[in-house]
Amino acid sequence: MAQTNALNWFLHRITGTFLIFMLITHFWVQHYDHQAASVTHEVVTEKGEMPDYPEEAKAGVRARYGEDAEVTPYQVVMQRLDDPVYAVLWKGFNILFLVVALHHGFYGLNNVMTDYIRDPMGRLIARALSWTLALGLLIIGMYSVITAGW
Amino acid sequence: MAVDTQERPSASASTDAPAQQEGRVQRYRIRTGMFAWMMHRLTGVGLVVYLVIHIWGLTALTDPETFNALIAKYHSPLFKVGEFALLVAVAYHAMNGLRIVLIDFLGWSPKQKKLFWTLGAVTAVIILVGGWPSLYALGEWLFGPGSMPTFFL
Ligand code: HEM
Ligand code: HEM
Repeated sequence: MAQTNALNWFLHRITGTFLIFMLITHFWVQHYDHQAASVTHEVVTEKGEMPDYPEEAKAGVRARYGEDAEVTPYQVVMQRLDDPVYAVLWKGFNILFLVVALHHGFYGLNNVMTDYIRDPMGRLIARALSWTLALGLLIIGMYSVITAGW
Repeated sequence: MAVDTQERPSASASTDAPAQQEGRVQRYRIRTGMFAWMMHRLTGVGLVVYLVIHIWGLTALTDPETFNALIAKYHSPLFKVGEFALLVAVAYHAMNGLRIVLIDFLGWSPKQKKLFWTLGAVTAVIILVGGWPSLYALGEWLFGPGSMPTFFL
């Protein structure tokens, strides 16, 4: 199998190690940071109801979008993604994260599929389909994160 | 496959009684390694599935209304459970992956046992500390406001 060479094996370990740091950052930003976290410590069950954000997030959003700005998930996330200075860095981080996660995940998925699909033709099809999906996700993901707030 | 089969007894060990005993212990070790590897595979594939859904969902970033609806959904009780499960999968896969990388790159095989249990403890801490927001949210919803300790939140 062309893909099971030493370089790819090595790369998979490198991307895995990178993912540790990127996932820690992602997790912190989405769940822990009081100003930037998109997900709060709250359960919402009513349709159309929005989660309530902590004071830090409210203050951040109002400082940016005006005193009567609505504090919804979109605004909270946009604090980073349309920031005049740091948006470029956050978008850059997200794209790097996207590339590394997709490479690691789909290379790993191909290893697994190679173990269970015995037929060479089947392997080829599985490989082509999975990498096409990965490429599609790369394009969609880059589009969403680049255009967000811009 | 970097599993802990390092201490496999020599092949001649199948003739006398004490060696058979050793063989049995060995079989158990292969099972621990096999289990760790199978879980790594399962969590890895699970994370790929999540990643596909996640990136697909994030097209909502282009429209405020849609994005708000998406994140509101992330706050539903079922998703809070899923969030916790996702963390368990990520923490396990990351720490077991780190174990594999350390063994492969740094040749830490002689310290495998110690490494295994150390990273196991680290994983438990990550799950408890990282998962507290989800558990807290679920508890507050189930047992009423103020029923859960906030700790470091
Ligand atoms: C958090 C940091 C991560 C680390 C340190 C890591 C590490 C690793 C390593 C070292 C392997 C190779 C295992 C082997 O050759 O036996 C692996 C396999 C794999 N990883 Fe990751 N990984 C991480 C995150 C992820 C993520 C986020 C995904 C999904 C998007 C993922 C999906 C996979 C898959 C599908 C495999 C193949 C499993 C197999 O061949 O049995 N990993 N990971
Ligand atoms: C419940 C937990 C999670 C939440 C609430 C969450 C939320 C988000 C949000 C709101 C974004 C938009 C970009 C931004 O805010 O900077 C994002 C991007 C991203 N997330 Fe997550 N995420 C979670 C878990 C994960 C996991 C486990 C992975 C890895 C497998 C992951 C991979 C990504 C990637 C690669 C991007 C960038 C996407 C792009 O550039 O289009 N996320 N996430």
